[in-house]
Amino acid sequence: MSFETITLDIKDHVATLTLNRPERLNSFNNRMHEELRAALQQLGDARCLVITGAGRGFCAGADLSEQKPPAPGQSLDLGAALEKQYNPLIKTLRDLPLPTVAAVNGPAAGAGMSLALACDIILAARSASFLQAFCNIGLVPDAGSTYHLPRLIGRQRAAGMALLGEKLPAETAAAWGLVWKCVDDDKLMSEAGAMAAKFASGPTKGLALIKQALQKSWDHDLSQQLDLERDLQRQAGRTEDFMEGVTAFIQKRPARFKGR
Amino acid sequence: MNGLLYTTIQLASTGGVATITLNRPQRLNALNAVMIGELRHALKAVTDSPALRCLLLTGTGRGFCAGADLVEPGGTSASGRDTGDVIAERMDAMWNPLMRDLAALPIPVVVAVNGPAAGGGVGLALTGDIVIAAKSAYFAMVFGPQLGLVPDLGSSWLVPHLAGLGRAAALALTGERFSAKAAAATGLIWRCTEDAALLPEATRIAERLSRGPTAGLKLIKQALAQSWQNSLEQQLGLERELQRQAGDTADFVEGVAAFQAKRQPIFKGQ
Repeated sequence: MSFETITLDIKDHVATLTLNRPERLNSFNNRMHEELRAALQQLGDARCLVITGAGRGFCAGADLSEQKPPAPGQSLDLGAALEKQYNPLIKTLRDLPLPTVAAVNGPAAGAGMSLALACDIILAARSASFLQAFCNIGLVPDAGSTYHLPRLIGRQRAAGMALLGEKLPAETAAAWGLVWKCVDDDKLMSEAGAMAAKFASGPTKGLALIKQALQKSWDHDLSQQLDLERDLQRQAGRTEDFMEGVTAFIQKRPARFKGR
Repeated sequence: MNGLLYTTIQLASTGGVATITLNRPQRLNALNAVMIGELRHALKAVTDSPALRCLLLTGTGRGFCAGADLVEPGGTSASGRDTGDVIAERMDAMWNPLMRDLAALPIPVVVAVNGPAAGGGVGLALTGDIVIAAKSAYFAMVFGPQLGLVPDLGSSWLVPHLAGLGRAAALALTGERFSAKAAAATGLIWRCTEDAALLPEATRIAERLSRGPTAGLKLIKQALAQSWQNSLEQQLGLERELQRQAGDTADFVEGVAAFQAKRQPIFKGQ
């Protein structure tokens, strides 16, 4: 599939996926959903995924200019689009067995913000902003925002963002723990690149297990989580990278992980 | 009970905003049985008036709410019965139904914390969807350290979900006063304002919410309320169902039309 609405570049084990409809602030349309689905299935030997946006925006969410009003007497099933397009995308991102980094270069609004929240680490440019735009058009935050937001910033801030629909500047987002770090605009891609390079030479299998442990954490009590850690550590302990990590530690040299 | 006859609270409405004011300033608006009955009555009146699309809750005088009125006659006094049983019965009959009514309110709730919120007052304040507090206000979980009790009115659930387990443990075990400023900095509340700016700011937010897509806002409250019990998988399914409902509202059609025409939407709450 040749891409029109995104670009995918895989180099040195880092996959960089760029949303590429800058004239529409990289908002989602059907074509972009298809291309994203295809791209996430062809990450090849990548050991880290970076998602960013072309132009001045990260992603403006669903492209409302393509939203037609329902025919008279018809009801509009917005749930169907979530079921077919957004929800599979969010689940795929969650289940990717490698670290994902969102480099938020500009406004992330609506489902565009949800997309960023579904990544493991969010880096935001100082001029970027986050907006739960849904309430401004009578909708409910979707694509996982109602799951991720309260867990990232607590109940009160989640309610404030979701009910008031006001822009949150990147710096506040970092202070609240919504994003990992806010960096100067011209440093965003170099910071993201450095982080991706680190992940790309990391113990990929172990990192994927870490993702799993953190995701399950919310559904577990302490006792269940201790059991999960035991099970995951069993798997991690069987990887080549763990052997290499121990050997390198003993030999006092940097480890050379292969992602196996 | 007629709303005009409330003795411990006031209920007023301006435009689409209903305002409930706790009104026992001589007792720092501590909750007694009469007040709980009146609050529940007022909440029902608000719910039954579709024109009221946001609730603002605040207190008169220098306090927001001091929790349960411990000097109320018969409050915790022994009538030969096990005190614990008496307390639990009262929670079942009054306190918890009040909190459930508040949580189930189908419109956004803005709480303007005008002064100290202590004990049960903390839970009452934090059930608001948007909580703002005056700079001189504070939150004190006095249950354990001063009374040997467990945080109630939902505060043992609310505080960890709002501000994290570490802060919740410290606040509940020490009973230390948590300033409005610290509360805002940690996400326990939405915002802290200068004392004089509290009501104007709360009113501004409430008015704005009262002109919002009320049916959609109700669904947002529902999505957030259920979030903690769901896995991501379940929550994605819930979002799909709620968005199906939201997509059928007149306000969504208006929201999209306004977006495309680059004008402000005029929501009717339907």
